Amino acid sequence: MTYQERVDAFRARIDAGEKIEAGDWMPDEYRQAALKFIEMHANSEVMGALPEREWIPRAPTLRRKLSLTAKVQDEVGHGQILYRVAEDLGKSREQMFDDLVNGRTKFHNVFHYPTESWGDVAVIGWLIDGAALVTQKALLDASYAPYVRAMRRICAEESLHLRHGEDITLELVSGSDAQREMFQDAVNRWWEPIMHFFGPPSKARDVLLEWGIKTRTNEDLRQEFFSTYVPKLWDLGISVPDPELRYDEAAGEWIWSEPNWDGFWQVVRGNGPMTATRLGLRKGMWDTHAWIREAFAGIPPKAA
Amino acid sequence: MDVWDVLGKRTVTDEWTLVGGVKAPDVEMALLLARETHFRHKEGVAYAVRRRGEAADALVPGTWPAETLGGVTDRSYRRQEAYAGVGAKLKRVAAQLAERGLRIDRPRPPGSGS
Repeated sequence: MTYQERVDAFRARIDAGEKIEAGDWMPDEYRQAALKFIEMHANSEVMGALPEREWIPRAPTLRRKLSLTAKVQDEVGHGQILYRVAEDLGKSREQMFDDLVNGRTKFHNVFHYPTESWGDVAVIGWLIDGAALVTQKALLDASYAPYVRAMRRICAEESLHLRHGEDITLELVSGSDAQREMFQDAVNRWWEPIMHFFGPPSKARDVLLEWGIKTRTNEDLRQEFFSTYVPKLWDLGISVPDPELRYDEAAGEWIWSEPNWDGFWQVVRGNGPMTATRLGLRKGMWDTHAWIREAFAGIPPKAA
Repeated sequence: MDVWDVLGKRTVTDEWTLVGGVKAPDVEMALLLARETHFRHKEGVAYAVRRRGEAADALVPGTWPAETLGGVTDRSYRRQEAYAGVGAKLKRVAAQLAERGLRIDRPRPPGSGS
């Protein structure tokens, strides 16, 4: 069988809705695209734990501290699960982590910003995890089976995180004026990063969509996010800092203003306000704990 | 280092289902990592690992009984049950805020909102 015939046969499997397992033959383009996508996802989970982690010592009650700690642990756990999935596609976990902490690979734009108040914890927990859940649910039907299994677990945990974030939000918006202002201020600061989160309009040829590694376009996901969260924000008397944003009843879709995409590219290229600080923290941990990896690698296999 | 497939059972009558994988130098460490990574939130009643590539019957079940898997102290904040009623709370808070005249009333998709 020629390479092209194998690609065609693989394409037929994808088109028939079959799932691909780690040991299956796959075209180089598929392997590379899946690896890059899942590696970026894993990086984002690991880095995404940091903005919220900064608020663990300052959580307002013991219960909030416990639940936030558990959530941060979950996010790091997602990173571990996803690095394992990515590893089977041909790049070692050590290499992926080394590339991340040395700035050679990317992580999601929303995790490059500072968390200034407890209101930010509410916004991250409810709206950013909500945005993540919209995109992650769309991956439950992806073509790469190990990724789908990971996403099943991750989506279950993210649904819990969403409730956790919603609970904190409701506490703030039904509280004092100062609490409401704190939440509104956080929404104002995070709105543009959230719009960036869904990414720029999808390219005409998106390799990820073509191979079923992703199943829905950026616009489609953004619209779902608007429909789910904007009416809830309005119900809570919280405004959205986009003067153009409105639901066009005739067209059945949301109109919104394009954010500043230059700012987005600056951030994803590693020039965000907190990029260096957070990568520095991860790199410090990675270097300090090198001895644990060495100890692990040095344990001789047991005689059968 | 070996790759281990992680399997679990949601209920006692279920078959073993593949849920993920871990990398570990030996079976004890594989079981520990499997438990921490995949069964922290009471996801099942039994867990097991199998070295990748070995026969189906080479499964090594973990020894933690169902009642202790996922922890025995009150860690409900790790699970959905701790947030039961948040949806109803949203409706309640929204109604209060509407009474205070704070609701932003703008066109929205049918059936959306609190």
